Amino acid sequence: MSQINVDAIRASNGTGDAISLTASDKTCTANITNNLSNRNLIINGSMNVAQRGTSSTSGGYASVDRFKVVDNNTNVTITQSQHALTSSDTGPWAKGFRNSWKQELSAAGNGLDGTSYLYLTHFVEAQNAACSGWDFTSASSYITLSFWFKASTNQTFYGRLATVDATTQNYPFSFTATGNDTWTKITKTIPGNSNCNIVNDHGAGLKLEISLYAGADRTDSGVSLNTWAAYASATRTPDIANTWITAGTSSFEITGVQLEVGDYATDFEHLPYGVELDRCKRYFIADIADRYWYNGEGANVYDYQLISFPTTMRDTPDITFGTDITMTNVNTSGGTNGHGTYAITTTGWNYSPLASATGNITGKVNYTASAEL
Amino acid sequence: MVYTYKKYTEHRGSAGAVVSTNYVLRKEDNTIIPFSEGNTSYQEYKAWLAAGNTPEEAD
Repeated sequence: MSQINVDAIRASNGTGDAISLTASDKTCTANITNNLSNRNLIINGSMNVAQRGTSSTSGGYASVDRFKVVDNNTNVTITQSQHALTSSDTGPWAKGFRNSWKQELSAAGNGLDGTSYLYLTHFVEAQNAACSGWDFTSASSYITLSFWFKASTNQTFYGRLATVDATTQNYPFSFTATGNDTWTKITKTIPGNSNCNIVNDHGAGLKLEISLYAGADRTDSGVSLNTWAAYASATRTPDIANTWITAGTSSFEITGVQLEVGDYATDFEHLPYGVELDRCKRYFIADIADRYWYNGEGANVYDYQLISFPTTMRDTPDITFGTDITMTNVNTSGGTNGHGTYAITTTGWNYSPLASATGNITGKVNYTASAEL
Repeated sequence: MVYTYKKYTEHRGSAGAVVSTNYVLRKEDNTIIPFSEGNTSYQEYKAWLAAGNTPEEAD
């Protein structure tokens, strides 16, 4: 084995060392300019946060945070879940990943036609992309996507990155595993383009879409890979084989999704669970609303409880009431099953149960606030 | 899922119950949707209106 014995490395015309080495403790100090923290534009790319629950047969946002299933006319039950990895998951396990986002089919998709599709999507908030340092208008400025995936039946899958402001621009790419049920790391380096536009606001800026299947209404054999073009729904990606979706109880797992400025993929930026959870709460919060008071004014009276969100949400959120926890002297035929809301903002909202009589009133209920993209 | 909507009744303390000009109720999952342009549920509601639909009257 050969080795290089030096004390420092500096540019030929430099005046200071870029890397200096310390013999006593076998370390170095490196002046690295692009290995920055908070460099992953994908939130919850390690799939560790699942506020909505760990498994669901619903589409949309229903298991791991920030990742969404979009499907149509597959005529099969699709279970999306946060899946715990083990040491048998060669590849991502050793890199520190303990969860994946898994799609499982109950049977082979059937009755597939041009309208059928199954996409996995993630939206990046526009201001995060606009202020990332990627010059998305320049062909010599790059952003790099990396992720781990495995599929029960291997085939060529397609994905695409899109800028969604102004005229949506589409960058399709393909990816393939090294075998069935074999974890494979995919890296795609994507240049900017003069037609791309990302507005500095809190709407959607970038869309990542992984296609597990799409019918002819959304694919076209003439679509070119690895280049930007104006988006049209019928030319999202090239035609995709139906191998995986018709193979039976197929599964597809993905984790370690990272999108970063630069022309190469760095190691995944693992974050503490609490940090990732806080980031997710800008888009979705699952919590408990709780109001107790003495009502001396008879039935059908509201009294409000201000509930502050733990972070400023992306936009004024929807409020959805879930399972009741405690309902004492509450008129459940009024309001929304007895629950009232008022003054919803990005920082909080007012909750009240509707009293059914004079006396102590308690309304305690699970709720969610959603400001997803 | 195809959603339908209903006008939402706000309760404003001493002002009592009033039909909201700020929110609409999505019936299938009892979600209160704010009239905020950046809210994607509101965007879906506006598209539903644009398709010629109208929300049910409030209770």
